[in-house]
Amino acid sequence: MKIDPPLPPGGGAGSLADRQARLVAALTCGAPVPSGFDPRLIDVARVALLRKRAGEVAGQWPRLAAAYGPRWPREFARWAATRPTRGPLRDGWDLARELGATLPAQAGGELAAREAAMRYDGASAPRPRRLPAVRRAAGTTVVQIAGRVWLIGRGIG
Amino acid sequence: MTAYGVGIGWRPEIAGFVAGLPGLRFTEVVAESVHAHGDLPPGLGELRDRGVAVVPHGVKLSLGGADPVEPARVQHLAAVARRLRAPLVSEHIAFVRAGGVEAGHLLPVPRSRAAVAAVVANVERTRAELDVPIALEPIAAVFDWPDDELDEAGFLTEILDRTGALLLLDVANVYANALNRGTDPVALLDRLPLERIAYVHVAGGAEHDGIYHDTHTDAVPQPVLDLVAELCARHRPPALMLERDGDYPLAEALRDELDAIAKASGYPVVTG
Repeated sequence: MKIDPPLPPGGGAGSLADRQARLVAALTCGAPVPSGFDPRLIDVARVALLRKRAGEVAGQWPRLAAAYGPRWPREFARWAATRPTRGPLRDGWDLARELGATLPAQAGGELAAREAAMRYDGASAPRPRRLPAVRRAAGTTVVQIAGRVWLIGRGIG
Repeated sequence: MTAYGVGIGWRPEIAGFVAGLPGLRFTEVVAESVHAHGDLPPGLGELRDRGVAVVPHGVKLSLGGADPVEPARVQHLAAVARRLRAPLVSEHIAFVRAGGVEAGHLLPVPRSRAAVAAVVANVERTRAELDVPIALEPIAAVFDWPDDELDEAGFLTEILDRTGALLLLDVANVYANALNRGTDPVALLDRLPLERIAYVHVAGGAEHDGIYHDTHTDAVPQPVLDLVAELCARHRPPALMLERDGDYPLAEALRDELDAIAKASGYPVVTG
């Protein structure tokens, strides 16, 4: 007679929680595909997820995406492949900050406007600024007063 | 549930189009996009006030997660349902985060007893906060878990029986799963409790790398409309709605898709 092994407790190895965590890590962090799954299909799902994220980030950061033209989905996917999503606003923000001075002017203005309007520490959700702010990115300077944003200069940085 | 006929998912990008549908009696809004207390998205309150049923559709509860649903997310869903005077809410049989990491998408749970137990427990936790019924939507999955103990129909029926929840059947998901697994979508319809359907999703998709993806950004293919007709020939659900989530086409194309769903289901057109 076959006796089933006892179910592992809550978060132990082999528990549902552990197996779900390993699957998410494979899909979002570049971790190995857990054994038993079809590696080809997991890769199809992983790529589809990156394609969907690229579209969502382009919706929040249209000028950043436009700076890449048709290469955007591929370039975003390359950056995002080992970075799980923190939502399209923060994903685009993190990428734009990394690109920094190399951002094309239009995308720089988009970044500067966001930096002036919201406080974002890179670790928790961005929050609207209460006080006026001046920010500059990739040569574009932006002023925010009472939530309204003005672009005041380009090519002076 | 009242027979609402044909509807469409409300999204800010197509709010004007949705508001302009003269026969509309039913729509759905992504629950996480509605504030629990702040302003409603422009136009949504007007739809509700003219008697259109608005169903909050959750996408981030992670009912299929091994961990308990987060109470704040459940309370938000319940609060949005009250604000919208919704006749019901809906969520997915899926998980969206694990180990503290967001997947960014709806992921399938294993069709195992342990996963059924996790889903049932989370649905119970959610229903404890809700004033209205919940409908559960099976998802489209590109891959399966290696050690499924139940088939799709057995898995879904067990969850519905144990929770008493309604079914939100997405015929495009049924089509996608059948195509990708090489199974018969109509055979699945014949094994599901169709009388438990609260409403139906209809959406488009596209093929990449030999796999059909349920994208919601492409046109509804004819086989999905054929499946709507197959479903309605067996048991016509109270409502069917078009789900479109991006790459919005011209109003005329959306109108044609709504009319095609009306034709396939036998409900009156809502476009004019």
